Amino acid sequence: MSAQHLKTASGASRSLARSRPRYGEVLVKAVLMLAALVSVATTVGIVFALLEPTIEFFGEVSLGEFFGSTTWGPLFNPPAFGVWPIIVATLEITLIAIVVAVPLGLAAAIYLSEYATPRVRKIFKPVLEVLAGVPTVVFGFFALTFVTPLLRDVFPFLELEAKNGLGAGLLVGVMIIPIVASLSEDSMAAVPNGLREGSYALGASKMLTSVRVVVPAAFSGIVAAIILAISRAAGETMIVAIAGGFKSVFTLYPGDEMSTMAAFIAQAGSGDASVGSIAYKTIFAVGSLLFIMTFAMNYVSARMVQKYREVYD
Amino acid sequence: MNDPRTPIPASGIAQIGVSVPNVSVRGPEVPRTIEALDPVFTVSGLSVFYGDYEAVRGVDMTIGNREITAMIGPSGCGKSTVLRCFNRMNDLIPGARAAGKILYHNEDLYGDHVDPIEVRRRIGMVFQKPNPFPKSIYDNIAYGPRVNGVKGKMDDIVEEALTKAALWDEVKDKIKQNALSLSGGQQQRLCIARAIAVKPDVILMDEPCSALDPIATTKIEDLMQELSRDYTIVIVTHNMQQAARVSDRTAFFTAEVDAEGVRHGRLVEFDETSRIFTNPSDKRTEDYITGRFG
Ligand SMILES: Nc1ncnc2c1ncn2[C@@H]1O[C@H](COP(=O)(O)OP(=O)(O)OP(=O)(O)O)[C@@H](O)[C@H]1O
Ligand SMILES: [Mg+2]
Repeated sequence: MSAQHLKTASGASRSLARSRPRYGEVLVKAVLMLAALVSVATTVGIVFALLEPTIEFFGEVSLGEFFGSTTWGPLFNPPAFGVWPIIVATLEITLIAIVVAVPLGLAAAIYLSEYATPRVRKIFKPVLEVLAGVPTVVFGFFALTFVTPLLRDVFPFLELEAKNGLGAGLLVGVMIIPIVASLSEDSMAAVPNGLREGSYALGASKMLTSVRVVVPAAFSGIVAAIILAISRAAGETMIVAIAGGFKSVFTLYPGDEMSTMAAFIAQAGSGDASVGSIAYKTIFAVGSLLFIMTFAMNYVSARMVQKYREVYD
Repeated sequence: MNDPRTPIPASGIAQIGVSVPNVSVRGPEVPRTIEALDPVFTVSGLSVFYGDYEAVRGVDMTIGNREITAMIGPSGCGKSTVLRCFNRMNDLIPGARAAGKILYHNEDLYGDHVDPIEVRRRIGMVFQKPNPFPKSIYDNIAYGPRVNGVKGKMDDIVEEALTKAALWDEVKDKIKQNALSLSGGQQQRLCIARAIAVKPDVILMDEPCSALDPIATTKIEDLMQELSRDYTIVIVTHNMQQAARVSDRTAFFTAEVDAEGVRHGRLVEFDETSRIFTNPSDKRTEDYITGRFG
């Protein structure tokens, strides 16, 4: 008995081959892959859906006219296709939003991650995330009926129009604060505590530790948060449609009414542009442009992050 | 070598139980007393709480100026806890609280007027796991002087600190490289250099060699000997040979269970290192250093 017994006990006689097939594993893998494929397929689908009408559009309108003129009015008679007014409006409103959201969002993130007690954080973070869930139409009406009138009363010299880029931009900024704050806080919370202790042990204050150690170490996550916020701001539709207006005259002054690219798409898309008409194709051309702009920004900033981030492990 | 100290050789451990009356750890200028004559820290009745839990109870000890004091004892007996009181690092842990008294150069370390940030500037710390900032080697060293508003030529400060930490020759050609590209032992010496750069008075080290191989450990031990000319050093270690090799005095801690069944860290014995390792007065110390307990 003993020899056989010993052999079994040491495991030498048992084969290392799998004793029975693990069907569950295969199934799980297939389901997970399918889920991943859905999002990839959607993206590819969107690109193709945009591509065909866009190509047709540029068969009728030259690139020279599209990018070489500052008169925009594809729905007018005669139509005009100089895209700059809506690009500039989009950039202006995005810029205003970022100027609002980055300092406030980062400050909130630093507060939550470095200063708040665990109890405060437990209450504060869900509240912040609720803000992210407020329907944008609410922000739009808030900008139109409260913020803009208030700004007009307090700063009459700005000569704000009833619908204007400033009011819309401010509320787009408020809308994206939770994105900046929440994602930045996540990446700051992931910074190892040893780095903080190292800084405190050198006689650094909490503020210096946050700004000079934690934020740089969390930099790539923070940049990712800001990029996502910018993309959301650039593509935001409801707030700008309600509070920014549809007038697409080239203007650098944010107090004027202005239509962004997304607002134009909403306006043209909700009108009666018939399939195949030039107005219809314009929607796709503008959509492609917005897609490319967001994509390019994502790409550039991803490269930037690669270059400047501080990896801590 | 003009080092006045004659370190106990590692073989000193083997002599435990044998009374060696004239082992001199330091030159004759240091008297053989338990109380350091020129104390940097005087600890009396120190108890440390985490919330309601009294992790360490009733510690009395002195830390001598420009001496190396080692703290040894089994895991969880409160060595780190006591060490972190010396630079008020425990203030950063919510719920942590110290009772009793620690005098630092005769000033109450926990007095109302004391600014913990100023305390940490004077009393540096090196941690168990090397924790360089994910910045360049240069910026790691320059960080402390910068946040403390030190004026002067930063290049010189960086070179001086790295030289003192015996790292300059190894890194002088790659000073702008990320500190995390260094080996573990180099990273730990960088952390020591970083602590030195703010010109502290005391350096606290919590198991600084536990993540390092024997060669890197030897380097850091040599460095500690070197630094103890200018700095007061307190080191927590699990390596008894290390305590025996480098320290002047040794504090042995252990955990005691009180009447309610709660464990508290206690200081069992505090004496010159030679005494602790050759002729300890407490049975528990002897058991621990001979490996019968732990
Ligand atoms: N942040 C904390 N919160 C609550 N309890 C703690 C905390 N840190 C330490 N303790 C407790 O205090 C006691 C002493 O811990 P300490 O870390 O000082 O031990 P140590 O002697 O350094 O042990 P080791 O040799 O394992 O590092 C332990 O019982 C531990 O559980
Ligand atoms: Mg410890």
